[in-house]
Formats: sequence, structure tokens, C-alpha cells
Amino acid sequence: MQSMSDMDWGIMAPEWVIAIACALLIVVDLFLKNTASRRWIGFLSLLAVGMAGGWVITQFRHKSAMILDGAYILAPYTLIWKIILLTGAALVLLVSLGQEKKEYEPHEGEYYYLLLTAVLGGMIVVSTADLIGLYTGLELLSLSSYILVGIQKKKNRSNEAAWKYVVLGGVSSAFILYGMSFLYGLTGTTHVGEIQKQLSQVGSSYEAYVYLSFFLMMVGFGFKLASAPFHTWAPDVYQGAPTPITSFLAIVSKSVTFALVLIVYMAYAGPYGEFQEDMIILFMIMATLSMIIGNTVALRQTNVKRMMAYSSIAHAGYVLVAVATGNQILIPIVFFYLFVYLFMTIGVFAVIALVAEQEKSEDLKAFAGLYHRSPLLALSMSVFLLSLAGIPVTAGFFGKFYIIMGALELNHIWLIAVMIVTTIISYYYYFAVIRQMYFRRPASSDPVRVSWPMKVAIGISLIATMGIGIMPQFVLETLQSLLR
Amino acid sequence: MNINGEFIAFFIFSVLAIGGAVFMINLTRVMHMALALAFTFFSIAGLYVLLDAPFLAVIQILIYTGAVSILMIFGIMLTKHKDEDKVAPFTVHKLLSLLGVGGFLAIVIWIIYRNPFFSTGEPQAAAFKVTDLGKAMFKTYMIPFEVTSILLLVALIGAIVLAKREEKK
Repeated sequence: MQSMSDMDWGIMAPEWVIAIACALLIVVDLFLKNTASRRWIGFLSLLAVGMAGGWVITQFRHKSAMILDGAYILAPYTLIWKIILLTGAALVLLVSLGQEKKEYEPHEGEYYYLLLTAVLGGMIVVSTADLIGLYTGLELLSLSSYILVGIQKKKNRSNEAAWKYVVLGGVSSAFILYGMSFLYGLTGTTHVGEIQKQLSQVGSSYEAYVYLSFFLMMVGFGFKLASAPFHTWAPDVYQGAPTPITSFLAIVSKSVTFALVLIVYMAYAGPYGEFQEDMIILFMIMATLSMIIGNTVALRQTNVKRMMAYSSIAHAGYVLVAVATGNQILIPIVFFYLFVYLFMTIGVFAVIALVAEQEKSEDLKAFAGLYHRSPLLALSMSVFLLSLAGIPVTAGFFGKFYIIMGALELNHIWLIAVMIVTTIISYYYYFAVIRQMYFRRPASSDPVRVSWPMKVAIGISLIATMGIGIMPQFVLETLQSLLR
Repeated sequence: MNINGEFIAFFIFSVLAIGGAVFMINLTRVMHMALALAFTFFSIAGLYVLLDAPFLAVIQILIYTGAVSILMIFGIMLTKHKDEDKVAPFTVHKLLSLLGVGGFLAIVIWIIYRNPFFSTGEPQAAAFKVTDLGKAMFKTYMIPFEVTSILLLVALIGAIVLAKREEKK
């Protein structure tokens, strides 16, 4: 075995940057006067995320490497995951900095470095192939998110949301851990690659354990993904959390769980033909239910954040369609969809944060006449919503189009049918917001004040959403060539 | 089935562990619950001894039976709380949960009894040394170990953020 100092710890640089920034900011926050502004802690966090992201980009030139036999992996796919996470975190930080009245006033410092630890947890998850590493990373992400959801202590709704999230999150972690323990019991190793080898050797008499462990883990992942039938916590938590945190849950937590699903998928990729088919059927059931429940229940919502929660359940369903096809060729498509979803979701939540802050209401009616008050804001919101709905020639449309083409190759016709029908249903509630913005009279005619970090966040999201919509093939081919 | 000392010890410890857990759920006073939980922790340590894992047993007693239980009791004493918990009525929802959990338990037990693990071969626990544990923890699993330390830090910050009383301005 190599000695500790011989190992190439430099490849962990992005994680180091985030961890060190976190530690420094905690100490700085401690010595700061109580009355001092915590705002620049947010800017320093943004700087740290930016540095980590820059480092990740330079690592694309580094050849694939690993520390401690898979405890930490540097490969193109881990780097793409990290770019998704860090971009999401940076935009969430910008939106948080852009809010005029902080929803989490006395704990602004904590808010920023808990976001950093959450991202760190996510980065650990995507870059390991060891069950223990996966689990600790996931817990770091979850624990930080629980606190962030409940950070508005004076709001009852926030407390309720945090409480639900802790209890159900804890239960889902227990399910994941229980499933992992059966895998360890069967194979005697926690390394995903080793598990795959060992699983193909265990006799078919132990097949029931393989099913049990997979089923248990999928229940846990279903909770974390907020995919039906384990979605019931999502609307309450999304509504109760501070708006930037809601977008963080929808983007970063969800992407990390998809990474986890794909990594665990590899562990089962060996053993039996029949098991593979059953595994795919389970994914398909979850995907179908998520699409149907998410899109139909969203029709009845009047609270925008709640509506977006159901929309995000539906989107988890769309991505699960790509996962369900169980085809490695579809990995770039999953990445493509998550990138698109990241930008349009951040954009929508940034606008929601602005409008909700100034109208003091998260109701659909708060958007009435937004076009007459702030035309640019209303236009960008329309672009994001159209893209989420998947109207042709937007980024969201191409995301769905690629998923459908992938599913078509594998002949999952009814899955595609469900996807198309529910997409059309979803037009109704996305257009409800657009209708409010253009065809209803505003309650007041003052324009919505937009602070500069908000402008940057919305601008980046807008450019990215439109850019991907204009040249989707280029983005997809770039992803494919990076993964090769 | 031959009844020997090991079997009797296993029987006593498992009854204590399960009994502690059941009492923990059914008791109404918080302090009694904490004590019931301590009993469960202690009996699990006994089970570890029977499984030839004395190191784990000592750790279990030190951390769970000792530290965690004491911490809970301190927590109860230092916070204001409603001492008495009302017994909730038995509803249809509870019946459904019971059926669900019971069904799950039946399935898991059925699977385990159909194909028990390690039915052949001698256990090799005797070859275990504490140094191996240290090597595993600080070499193979070093990254998760470090992540855990950040996790604990986050938990600490979170507890302070959520539990601290704001000063009035």
C-alpha cells in the first residue's frame, strides 16, 4: 500500500478550497462584531465556489486518477457533476445576496457557510465509489440542508418544513443505510466496483437479498429525489424554506441524488439478466408516477413555490425516464437535462424571490401585471417558464427531446406517451403564471426593484437557457466528447 | 436446540434490548424513556460481546450507554418541557402503519431465514486486532472520516443556530 504522503492529494483541490473557506469563514464570523454586516461573508463564499469551479475546469486536462483505491475519483464524469453542483451553488449564493430583506436575518453568516458545507457533501458524493464515502457525503449535504430549511426560526411554516424534512430525511437515510448493509453482508466490501464483481459470483439462492437491498435503497433515494410515491414532503418543505434554499434543494440536492442513483446502479450492473429488467421496471414505475402526480397536482396550486415543488417532482420523473432506460449512452443526456434544469429553475426562483419579497405574498396573484411593471423581468420569467414547460425550440424542449429519443431506441413506447401527455398537461399551470403577468392588471404600477446580484443571477440563467436552446447539439456533443 | 450459557445470555440480552425499545415508545415520561433507551444500548453491547467483538462492546458502553444517555438526561433537565406525554388514541392511520411495518418485517425475516448468511465455515473474528480497525479508519476510510468531522461541526453549528434564544434589541 502506498504511504499517505505519496498520494496525489492535489487532485482533491476543489474540495480543499471549499473546506478551508468554510473553516476560515466560521472563525472570521466568530470574531466579527454582532452588529457588523455579514454580507461580505456571502461574497467570500461566492469567491470560494468560483475558485473551486475554476480548479475543476483545469482538471479536465488531468488524466483520470484515484486516491485510496476509489475512495476519491477524478474522472470526466465526476468533474461534470462538480460543475453542475458548483454552478448551482454560485447562482444560489447570488440570489441570496440579491435579496434585500434577508429571510434569515440574525444568522446570515451561518447561512452562507452551511451552503458551502452542503456543496462539499455533494462534491464528496459524486467523486467517490465507496458506500461509506457516499453515505457520509450524503449526510453532510442533508444535515446542512435541514438547518438551512429551518433557519427562519420565527416563521411557523419554516419550522414545520424543517421538522418534516429532518424526520423524513432521517428515515430515508436509514433505508439507504439498511440497503447498503445487505450489500456489504453479501459481498464483504464497500467498494462499488468490487461489489459488482462479487455480486455476479454469489449464487442465485441469495438473489432475494439483492432485490431487498436494491428496493430499500430505492425507497431512500425516492425520498431524497422527491419522486412519487415518496414525494409528500416536498411541497411543504419547498414552500416553508427560504426561496434560495428551495432552489438549492431542487437543483443541488436532486443532482447529487441522481449521481448517487447512477453510482449505485453500477454496483448492480453485473449479476443477472432478470434482475436488470426488474430494476428498470421499478425505475419506470417511479418515473411514471412522478410525471403524472407532479403535473396533475400542480394544476390545483395557487402558491407559486408549492406549484414549483410539484413541477420539480415532475422533472425528477423526466430524468428518471433517462435513468430507467438503463443505458450508459444516456448519461450525457442526463447531464444535459440537469444543466438545463439548473438554469431555468434558478431563474424562476430568483424572480419568485423578488416578487414575493415586494408583494409580501407567494400567491399566483402576486404576479399580476408584472409585464406592465417590469417588462424585462416578466420577459425573462416567460423564457424560464416556457423552457420548463418544454415548448419547442427552448432548452427544456431539447432536454425532453433527447430523453424521448433515447427512450425510443429502447422501445419504451408507453413511457414516452406518458411523458408527452403529462408535458402537455404541464403547459396549463406554467401558462397560468404567464397569463397573470401579461393579461391581469397590476395592483401597483411601481417597477420591481432588482438588486445587482439578482440581475447577474437572472442574466446568467437567461443567457444559459437561451444559449442552450439555440445550440443544443453543440452542448450535447461537448458533454459527449468530455465523457469519452 | 442445545441450551448453553451463550444461548441463555443471548436470550436475556435480546429480551432486554427489545423490551427497552418497546418501553421507550410506550412510556409517557421523558426521563423514563431515556432510561429505557439506555437499557437497549447496554443490551446491544452485551450482544456484541457474544458476537466476539469486545472492542465494539466497550465502545458501545462508553459512547451510547454512557455519553449519549447522560447527554439526553442533561438535555431533559436543562430544557423546559412538558414532562407528561399524552397517549395518542389508536386510529385507522396507526393500524395501517402497523400493517405496513408488520408486512415489511415479515418479508425481511422470510428472506433472512430462507438463505441465512454464513451458514457454513468457522467465524474468523478471532483474527481481528484493534490495529486493523485503526488502519481501516485512518487509511482506507480516511476521507469519510474527515467528512464526518465536518458533519459534526455542521451539527454543532446547526444546534446553536436553531436552539439559541435571540436577545431582544
